[in-house]
Amino acid sequence: MDYRQCATEILRELGGKENLISAAHCATRLRLVIADNSKVNKGNLENTDGVKGVFEAAGQLQIIIGTGTVNKVYDEFIAIAGVEAASKDDVKAAAASKAPWYKRAIKTLGDIFVPIIPAIVATGLLNGLLGGLSKAFPDIAGSQIYTLLNIFSNSALTFLPILIAISAAKIFGGNQFLGAVIGMIMIHPDLVNAWAVSGGAETSTLWSWFGLWNIQNVGYQGHVIPVILAVLLMSKLEKWLHKRVPEMIDLFVTPLVSVLVAGFATMTIIGPVFSQVETWVLSGAQWLISIPFGIGAFIMGGVYAPTVVAGVHHMYNAIEMMMLADNGMNIWMPIATAANVSQGAAALAVALKTKNKKTKSMALPASLSAFLGITEPAIFGVNVRFMRPFIAGMIGGACGAAVASLTGVYATANGVTGVFGFLITTDSFVGYLLTFLVSAVVAFVVSWFMGIKEDVPAENQTAKPQEIDVPAKEYNDDTVYAPLEGKVVALEDVPDATFAEGVLGLGAAIEPAVGEVVAPADGEVSSIFDTHHAVGLTLDNGMELLIHVGINTVALNGEGFTAHVSEGDKVKRGQPLISFDMDFITSKGYPIITPVIVSNADDYKGIRKTDSAEVKRLDELLTVEKG
Amino acid sequence: MKTFAYTIKDEVGIHARPAGLLAKKAKEFESVITLEKGGKTAVATKLMAIMGMGVKCGDTVNVTVEGADEEKAAAEMEAFFNANL
Repeated sequence: MDYRQCATEILRELGGKENLISAAHCATRLRLVIADNSKVNKGNLENTDGVKGVFEAAGQLQIIIGTGTVNKVYDEFIAIAGVEAASKDDVKAAAASKAPWYKRAIKTLGDIFVPIIPAIVATGLLNGLLGGLSKAFPDIAGSQIYTLLNIFSNSALTFLPILIAISAAKIFGGNQFLGAVIGMIMIHPDLVNAWAVSGGAETSTLWSWFGLWNIQNVGYQGHVIPVILAVLLMSKLEKWLHKRVPEMIDLFVTPLVSVLVAGFATMTIIGPVFSQVETWVLSGAQWLISIPFGIGAFIMGGVYAPTVVAGVHHMYNAIEMMMLADNGMNIWMPIATAANVSQGAAALAVALKTKNKKTKSMALPASLSAFLGITEPAIFGVNVRFMRPFIAGMIGGACGAAVASLTGVYATANGVTGVFGFLITTDSFVGYLLTFLVSAVVAFVVSWFMGIKEDVPAENQTAKPQEIDVPAKEYNDDTVYAPLEGKVVALEDVPDATFAEGVLGLGAAIEPAVGEVVAPADGEVSSIFDTHHAVGLTLDNGMELLIHVGINTVALNGEGFTAHVSEGDKVKRGQPLISFDMDFITSKGYPIITPVIVSNADDYKGIRKTDSAEVKRLDELLTVEKG
Repeated sequence: MKTFAYTIKDEVGIHARPAGLLAKKAKEFESVITLEKGGKTAVATKLMAIMGMGVKCGDTVNVTVEGADEEKAAAEMEAFFNANL
């Protein structure tokens, strides 16, 4: 893949650098903030080589490129667009004015968790491996190496609030070390460990609000939201103080006051209130997936993929971490696996079924990646575009999640799903395997039988200009050759007065069979509209020809059309001028009948259309009589 | 010679249909009517030339009318622009 080419095309289709506010990227997507979304040509963007999907979320235009390549395209992109490499923070801030508050909140949560996922994955996998080993070799559990590695494996979860605090401080623009201090306060060894409390340990009163509300000396191990809020408060306070405290004393006053005030508020108000709220949220999610007979899990498994599309799935990390903190049993992860694996299987069905090479080459790796737990390429690159596989994936996910629930599958860590999930579900291997297989098989079969409408690939095929292919025969100057294939219709029968009455000139219309317009003879492009739906040619024989694809299609603003030439270009007979997506235009309610008009008809004595009912490309369409 | 300037209000600019109507209207007069926008000029009876100017909504077009019936032509053309564009 040519990264620069891809970046150049993306920049062009989103309306040039004037329309770009900022750019960032994540593991798979370019995340752009656009000034005016109406200037973005999504159809062309999706057809750009290297682009697997395009969608808008949380005020950003997100372009799926794929793991390992997105950073290269991004480097080229910022080089040619001339924008500074923006941190996600900047993009978020730019998008902030556009997204509703709840989306911003969910996004922030995601931004905080994504950087710490490696820590969770490292220890989580170790946790899974150790669990598996001690299952296979019971003797190992008492060994020194096991004890040592066990310390490694639960460290990230034990000190989770510190990791979250550091990450959150970065996102909120506070000092990361002060953020870490807030996290440390919340799990200080002098507080009773929250896990020990759930195991029945004694607690005493840490602080009393007027004797009415007694706060216990419990730590915040495993908590998420209170830590984030505490760090948010601290960061705001710190920034506020920096601006107001005289520089001479800023260095010691600001950190001291920030930590003191934020720490106190955290331990006496924020922490207690939100650990309560968090418990309720947790119970809510747990309640949903605890609805018996797998019904709750069934619902969750079904709606999981749409929540990925909405971009809210990062929040689930928090739920998983709460579950792990609560009882060490992550029953969320099997549901996520069901949803992810089934999207992969649905994409696999597409890969095996499609005849379109581009779709196949994308669906296969996307599917494999989904089995390993990274679903974005499969969901956005394949399934959502065809919709039916996406629905098939939802059905598979629901069924798989129900199986997981019925067989009581749980994971002992989080951060991985799919194939790697086996490492952290050693306690329920058979159930997990069943979950995996049911999700995959159901989604594959449903996706296979629902099939795909190949209209999108058809567009892909026509979007690339084909080789100039001119049927060998004699061409003469008194004949206008058909610029596209289809049924011949008399101009009077075109459902639009301007054309029917000959206001624009005389000629004939073609009801297209193929979505491509070619030059009927050598000449020059005298006009092509920005909306790419009509082209005016001045042929070398002096004839002026207007080819207007569809009726009122100017209103589509270029969507569904691809122009292969620009104004002033010299064109050869048979050269592709415009490609258009017939299904798309029809679906928007516009007729696709295409008038082919001699606009300087006054220069001729007569213009007669062919008697054939149908024409192929470059068959005779009109005969003119010179004046 | 009569001239007037007109700022296009039609959302799609001078596209095929309005251009066709414009050319048809311009043919009614003896006077030579020329359109100018951003250095590009076009004879108003030439559909391709008009379309080639790529006039969009918000663009200002300068119209020049020169000939025996220029008074009447200018007035009617201005009325045409107001009514159609």
